[in-house]
Amino acid sequence: MNVILQYYRSLGTARTLNLRIWRLNSTSADVATTTKGDEEEEFRVLDILKSRQRTKKKVTRRNDVQPDRADRMSIDQKWGNVWPGPKTFHPSSVPLPLRQGYVPKGHVPPGKKANAELMKIPNFLHLTPPVVKAQCEALKQFCTEWPSLLNSEEAIENHYPVETITSDYCHAGPTIRNPLARIATLRVKLSTLNLNKHAQDKFIRLVGERYDEETDLVTITADRCPLRQQNLDYVNYLLTACYHESWNVEDWEHDKTEEDMEYYDWDKNASKKSLVQWHLRATNMPNDLSDMDYVEYDISKIPNGEEYKNAVSSLMNNGESEETLKNYGAAVRKLLGLPEAKI
Amino acid sequence: MYSNIILSRRWPQFTCICRSLTTVEGQKLPQSSKSTDGISPPPRIHRNPTDILQALSATVGRDPTAAHFKYHDDPYLIPLSNFRKRSYALSAEAGRKAAAWVRDEHAVWFTTREWDPPSKIKTPYFNADPRIDAYAPKPIYNDESKVTEEDLKYTISNALLEDSIKVFQLLGGTDTINDDLKLNFLQLLCFCNEKEPDSLEWLEENWFSANTRERQLTTWKVGGLADKIFASLEPKTPEAYCALILGMAKHYQAERAYALTQEAIEKGIPLSTNVFNALLGCVGFMKEGTALRTEELKKLLSQMAQLDLTPNDKTLSACLRSVSAWGSGKMLQQFALQIVTEFRNLGIEPGLAAYYHLLCLFCKERGPRVDILSDILNNLEKREKLIPKEPTDTNFFITAMGVCNDHLQNYKMAERLHALLMKGDNYKLVGDAYKESIYYRHLVTVACRHAPFEKTTEILDTLVPNVYVPEPSVMEEIIKTLEIAGAGERLAQAWSQLVVFGVAKRVKLVERLLNAMCSCYDHQSDEVKANMRTAACDILKYGQRTQEDGGPIATDTLRTPMPKLSANAVTNVLQLCSDVKDNAAPEWEVVFEGLQKLRKSEAAGVPSNPQTLANVAQKATAAGKLGVAAAAVQYLAENGFEEAIAASVETLAAMLNRPREDIEAMLQQKTADLDQSLHPSAFAVVEAYNLAKTGVGSSNMEASNNSTSSESDSDTTSDDE
Repeated sequence: MNVILQYYRSLGTARTLNLRIWRLNSTSADVATTTKGDEEEEFRVLDILKSRQRTKKKVTRRNDVQPDRADRMSIDQKWGNVWPGPKTFHPSSVPLPLRQGYVPKGHVPPGKKANAELMKIPNFLHLTPPVVKAQCEALKQFCTEWPSLLNSEEAIENHYPVETITSDYCHAGPTIRNPLARIATLRVKLSTLNLNKHAQDKFIRLVGERYDEETDLVTITADRCPLRQQNLDYVNYLLTACYHESWNVEDWEHDKTEEDMEYYDWDKNASKKSLVQWHLRATNMPNDLSDMDYVEYDISKIPNGEEYKNAVSSLMNNGESEETLKNYGAAVRKLLGLPEAKI
Repeated sequence: MYSNIILSRRWPQFTCICRSLTTVEGQKLPQSSKSTDGISPPPRIHRNPTDILQALSATVGRDPTAAHFKYHDDPYLIPLSNFRKRSYALSAEAGRKAAAWVRDEHAVWFTTREWDPPSKIKTPYFNADPRIDAYAPKPIYNDESKVTEEDLKYTISNALLEDSIKVFQLLGGTDTINDDLKLNFLQLLCFCNEKEPDSLEWLEENWFSANTRERQLTTWKVGGLADKIFASLEPKTPEAYCALILGMAKHYQAERAYALTQEAIEKGIPLSTNVFNALLGCVGFMKEGTALRTEELKKLLSQMAQLDLTPNDKTLSACLRSVSAWGSGKMLQQFALQIVTEFRNLGIEPGLAAYYHLLCLFCKERGPRVDILSDILNNLEKREKLIPKEPTDTNFFITAMGVCNDHLQNYKMAERLHALLMKGDNYKLVGDAYKESIYYRHLVTVACRHAPFEKTTEILDTLVPNVYVPEPSVMEEIIKTLEIAGAGERLAQAWSQLVVFGVAKRVKLVERLLNAMCSCYDHQSDEVKANMRTAACDILKYGQRTQEDGGPIATDTLRTPMPKLSANAVTNVLQLCSDVKDNAAPEWEVVFEGLQKLRKSEAAGVPSNPQTLANVAQKATAAGKLGVAAAAVQYLAENGFEEAIAASVETLAAMLNRPREDIEAMLQQKTADLDQSLHPSAFAVVEAYNLAKTGVGSSNMEASNNSTSSESDSDTTSDDE
């Protein structure tokens, strides 16, 4: 009923509304009697899909619309003048026979006119090679010469080891500020810092996950201050503070035992002692070494000792795996002069 | 809650942010002045904030196929007539004005955040950061406003004259304001003469505003606010004197300005060069007669010398302005040249305004031909940049082009001048829309008359229609040139241009075009001929252009009915259209329609060359369109042309395929007998013959007329099938 009401409200005038509703609710016999009386008012069928009402829209055509200006363009024109800046694709000014969009079977792709697909995608019609060239030429007057000694990536890295990264944003809006522009990032290669083993170890512990072992880069990002300059100052401060802190040696650091080591140092471990002892026994040399002597013993004197050291270190540091175990086995066989394992 | 909504509304704005630039900055750079070590970067080249943008925009030239960038780049929205250009641009500006009105009228909506919680309600807030004053609401001053001196300062510095007068009155008039502010206010009043100056904000309005020719009328308001403020200033500073004298001289209150100057000189008050410049400009108001005026001018200049005032380029243009306004004649011209030489000796080169006045003085339309323009161009082309200094500067190019066209009639010079205008950003010196269109009118006219044809077409292709839409007079000139050059293709295009430019209803132009088409129709290639025929057909149909569902609209119901084409023009159309061999060509319908038009006297006058119609009849017969041929002959007979007899005999001979003698013999018979034996069209021709021979047609002339027309109508349709 509701639907019918709405339908009629949209169609008929308020005056005929009551009569019509009543007629729809009544039986067909009633309808017949009423329609007989007035012939000009025929019975109207509820046409939900409104298929009948779809009349052809009147198209008024202007007679002074010019053809596309793309047709009048000469073939040697400067395209940069036609399309000077970035803008949405417009078919009448692009003299290219472009087609894009869904292709029904047996058809060709839709042409360029009224083609939303072509309008959606970003185009680079404003950045054709000649335009880029001309713009570069125009900007040359503002450029200074590149310093001659900075001729390779290594040289640049060498002279300018610290990199700071910030982003600028371009808006269409009343304000040109963007909160994301405040974020500042500082990157430096750890190897370029002047650190000894202890300091480096401490530095890595201080910066935590900001250090990437694979690239050797320390990345410090700050976004806690509202302005970019403040954040830049802050990242510089963080780097400086970490650097100096890592050179400090606290008293309690001397209490570090083998259990506290963060990695397995073969030289300080019992494995080396056993190897040296075994080596001395095997070569009938007197064994009068102190603990310090064991640590500083030159392993290269022992045939295949270096290999054994590496195998043990990797087994302990990287954990047990097929690879490390196999290496260890091979190293031991070599050390002891046993034949290689047959598989 | 509220802030959430706001955020989500602004979200698209954030998403459209593009990460434009990632700067990888080095460490703190060493502050050496040179990159001597090859490592540290050299010092930065200084540049202004917009220098890069300007450099980039200099790489973009003009695109002749595109409209000005203020219009939408779309075939439906590119304006092609002067009317549309004007109305589109002004409509856009009207929208901007409406927005500005809402902004000023309801400033509260834009400067406070009403959605804040009640405690913070109406906190001043500007969403623009940094704040742009031009976009901020302008204060409105009325009788209830509470104003301070700051408001007066603000209104004066922004040249809001009426507002500043209001604020001045609210502040309590002359007594309560300090002298510095009063002086500033006086200067503003004197500059504007107590009239609100045109706002510079509305570019399009200024561009299209009706050319208000500067009239040299005494408009200074005597005893106005400026005079009162000057009286209240004590002591009267030199600045105050200068301001008042300048204001009076600017608005041509010459006598008072002179009196005040004398008073100031007597009191020993130093005056500025500008004061004398202004006085030099209104010498003509003081004295009558060239000799007296010249003397006065010299006296003023020597007075300047006595007061140790250095003249500047404005002094020169003021002198020349006065001299050129006094009329012409050898003496004045000599005097002007003397002045220029004198100033050259002082190291002052004339500017564009000075050259404009010189051109006005030397190149009179009826005077002898004086070629001072080439010297001027030589001088101007040497300058690196033309810097606008005075409002009159914008008159130079239009006047110079006018001289090229009317006075010198030299296209070479016009080309040089146009090149100068296109150099750098000299184009801003073209003035406004009115001046621009006059400039191009002169350029196109001189190109049509005196340039080689290739140059003319090149100019037309680059200028028309996006830069300049030719006025009817210029269009006529263009059609004439095309006719002489025999460019049939372009003539065919010219018709569509007439339609597009909105001048297709000018009958004179259309007739001119048809004449031109007829006169060079014969030596065109077949393709061009076809195009010209199509254009001719379109001309005839233009009046009855169908609109909406294909129903022809009556010409009377149009707001401006299409005026009648002359019979000559219709004949021209017939001549063009009848040149088809094909029986089924659509041109024949048009020919028939044109003949009907002639017969119903819907065309003005009678054709001057009736032989053309006889030819049409023959061609129609040859193509098998007997009805058309009969109509043509009938028209000739009805209007009593002598050619009717010969034409009807010829046509009949061709129709019946018999020699002329037989036909003449046949025509001696009674018409009634022929009625049965002849084809209706042939019979119509016979009737026409009788009409022409006897001067009186059959008794039921009107009736037969109607019947023949209907017969021939049916005939044409049967012929078509």
